[in-house]
Amino acid sequence: MPNNGRFMVGLVGVAAVVTYLIWTGVSETMVYYLTPVELIERFEEDPSFREVAVKVSGEVVPESYRKGQGELEHHFEIVDLEDETATFPVRYVGILPDTFNDAPDMLTEAIIEGRFEEGTFEATLLLTKCGSRFEASKEQLHDQMQLQEQMPADHIG
Amino acid sequence: MNIVGELALWTALPVAVWGMALGFMGGRNGRGDLVLSAERAVYATLGLSFLASLGVIDLFLNDRFDYWYPAAYSSRDLGTFFKVSGLWAGQRGSLLFWLLLLNVFSAIAVWSNRRKNREFMPYVIGVLMTIQTFFLVVLLFAEVNPFERLGFTVADGQGMNPQLQNYWMTIHPPTLYLGFTAFTIPFAFAISALLTGRLDSRWITVTRKWILLSWFFLSNGIVFGMRWAYEELGWGGYWFWDPVENASLLPWLTATAFLHSIQIQETRGMLKVWNMGLVIGTFLLTIFATFLTRSGLIESVHTFAENLTIAWIFLGFMFASAAVGLVLVLYRLPKLRSESRIESFLSRESAFLFNNLVLVAATFAVMWGTLLPLLSEGFMGQEIAVGPPFFNRVNLPIGLFLLFLMGVGPVIAWRKASARNLRKNFVWPTSVGLGTGAILWAIGIRHGMALLTFATSAFVMTTIVVEFWKGTRARARIEGEGWLKAFYHLIARNRRRWGGYIVHVGVVMIFTAFAGAPWNTDIEQTLEPGQSAEITSPFGHTYRLTYEGLSTNINDRAQNLRWQLVALMSVEQEGERVGTVQPEKRQYFVGGNRDPNTGNATEVGIRATPYEDLYVILASVPQIETGMSLNDPSAQQAHFRIMIKPLVGLIWSGIMVLSVGGLIGLWPATEKPRAAKSSPGGRRAVAAAGD
Repeated sequence: MPNNGRFMVGLVGVAAVVTYLIWTGVSETMVYYLTPVELIERFEEDPSFREVAVKVSGEVVPESYRKGQGELEHHFEIVDLEDETATFPVRYVGILPDTFNDAPDMLTEAIIEGRFEEGTFEATLLLTKCGSRFEASKEQLHDQMQLQEQMPADHIG
Repeated sequence: MNIVGELALWTALPVAVWGMALGFMGGRNGRGDLVLSAERAVYATLGLSFLASLGVIDLFLNDRFDYWYPAAYSSRDLGTFFKVSGLWAGQRGSLLFWLLLLNVFSAIAVWSNRRKNREFMPYVIGVLMTIQTFFLVVLLFAEVNPFERLGFTVADGQGMNPQLQNYWMTIHPPTLYLGFTAFTIPFAFAISALLTGRLDSRWITVTRKWILLSWFFLSNGIVFGMRWAYEELGWGGYWFWDPVENASLLPWLTATAFLHSIQIQETRGMLKVWNMGLVIGTFLLTIFATFLTRSGLIESVHTFAENLTIAWIFLGFMFASAAVGLVLVLYRLPKLRSESRIESFLSRESAFLFNNLVLVAATFAVMWGTLLPLLSEGFMGQEIAVGPPFFNRVNLPIGLFLLFLMGVGPVIAWRKASARNLRKNFVWPTSVGLGTGAILWAIGIRHGMALLTFATSAFVMTTIVVEFWKGTRARARIEGEGWLKAFYHLIARNRRRWGGYIVHVGVVMIFTAFAGAPWNTDIEQTLEPGQSAEITSPFGHTYRLTYEGLSTNINDRAQNLRWQLVALMSVEQEGERVGTVQPEKRQYFVGGNRDPNTGNATEVGIRATPYEDLYVILASVPQIETGMSLNDPSAQQAHFRIMIKPLVGLIWSGIMVLSVGGLIGLWPATEKPRAAKSSPGGRRAVAAAGD
């Protein structure tokens, strides 16, 4: 069946091209996805790791935000979700996501991508957690109830 | 009402189990009385899940903040419209909503087949009720019951995320869910076909409309989500290859493959095993998408321990379904033999097969990229992630190839294309495609991928136009009808085929829009009232935007706004005033009003034209932060990001064209299709007669 043979060549060809695309795509665009703790451990093992682009997910340190020189330059700190000592400064140039927040009683989870330059993480990408998928916990609601009870009624929205 | 709803939810579980058991037993023993009872269980669960949904809406409308779900998602100030949409705003409600939609579709499927396809129905009901039972178990036992009480009452709820208070976000999840749930009907018929051994293409013919309906909703749901991202997220994009977006794309890719491959089975009796694989795979992906979008498993691997119960139940269900499907297919393998084989590389079967292969490859690539953090963590102990560059790199060539096949597939002959067939059908399209490419090259377009996309789009559009032209002309001659009447009858007599072509037109428009992205232009500028910014469009003209000033709206309880800043900009195109844009910054009352920093929302200002969008973001108003009075004009200084998005409007008009085509295909048949149409040569007969 010469026709089927040609057909098989075509199928294998498509499969090979896609595999090649996936393979090179991953190896050329992948980044390590780490927590601040893991990132700091990596540095200690291998100082040159600072040059490598990484993706980090952590929490925005409350009240750490300040505006940089340009209108769109932002500085803040990121801390590990579980280990308070693992923290580092971040600089991001761009428009802050609406869900970005450094208020003291908010937990804003941030995902940043970039690399270190002179001790500061230069983020090229900043994503903050969209609230819709994470509902308030019972504890948070309970705290809020107590806060609301302490406030005069007209302050309550 | 809420008590009734809660009770209804609990009652639904035994009823669904009853329906499941009787469906399977009735099918096995051929007992019509048992099947009848199972059918009634389907209607009963529809009533019960409807009552449960009403109960949840009732909780929202009455501000019942002693219940967890409304306390976490609603607030007293929230508008009625958004309170009702609370039913699908969070995980708890959306699972119930999923169940409700599944119940609606189950009931429609059972009702419309009450007198026909009886050999399939017992097991169809059994499968549908099994899925319902699964969702009921999740709702009742996986810590996601929407009727869960807090044990205390908060004075006001947390409020809805302002980003969700958008029209498109209100309709995006339900539309996707309609697509997901509609696909369970073909899945149930497929399993029933495997169980009964009726493995000809009957189960496909019966569920063809359901497959198309599901695909129609999935396509719309995905584009509604793109529209929401474009308007609400405020960074000028519409697709970010985010895990949640990818999750909705995966079943769409396999459903698209399935929609095409079933035509080969119907016409040529081939690909039976492959189609079983696709229908089971697509169903699993709809469950996977529901799970992924509502569990937060991927985007935050470090904190996913939030609700492990639900993760395990979902994974267990998916594995069990996959295992049952696999075992059934293996058991029925002898009956799933192909009735014919591919005769030529140059044939419609071959084009469709490549379309399928490429779509499944894209599914695999997207899935691989999405799950990579999880897989690499599990197998290498080292989390690795890929972002948009990976997905674009893999999917752009795949998309381009698919686009090309879209031009080839519908007009190449079945079995084996003759040189005459190729010449007749492809001379014009190829010339137009190459010509378009040459013209675009001549006017200076050098972006390779975009150039290829535009040229291929022109090629595909020409094949479609030529098909319509030939069909209409043939009809007009043979039946002696006027052109318009002939065109109408042409579509009406074979809505599946011509509707499909119109769907293709919509898809081509959307692909063309994607290819406009390399010409996205943006500038950033700080302006004081009276000052202007200029931006030149890739089409050559220049816009001049003059910042007229800032207006404020403070403490607007009706809209739930703490404050709202609206920047007014007048727009001139080549010196001629063409309109205004009004980008905004808003802050909503959320979280019980306690934290002034929560609830920020950036509303972009868009001036849309058919060929490009002017997209303006109010990036910041520096003096707001220092608390200066806005009465001072210099305090109104604002920073803007101004972008031009060429061709983006074609996405929104493309989905409308696609929907029209889909509806033409979905419209109930008024006459029995003629026998000639199902034979391989029949489809060409009309066009050939016109030559």
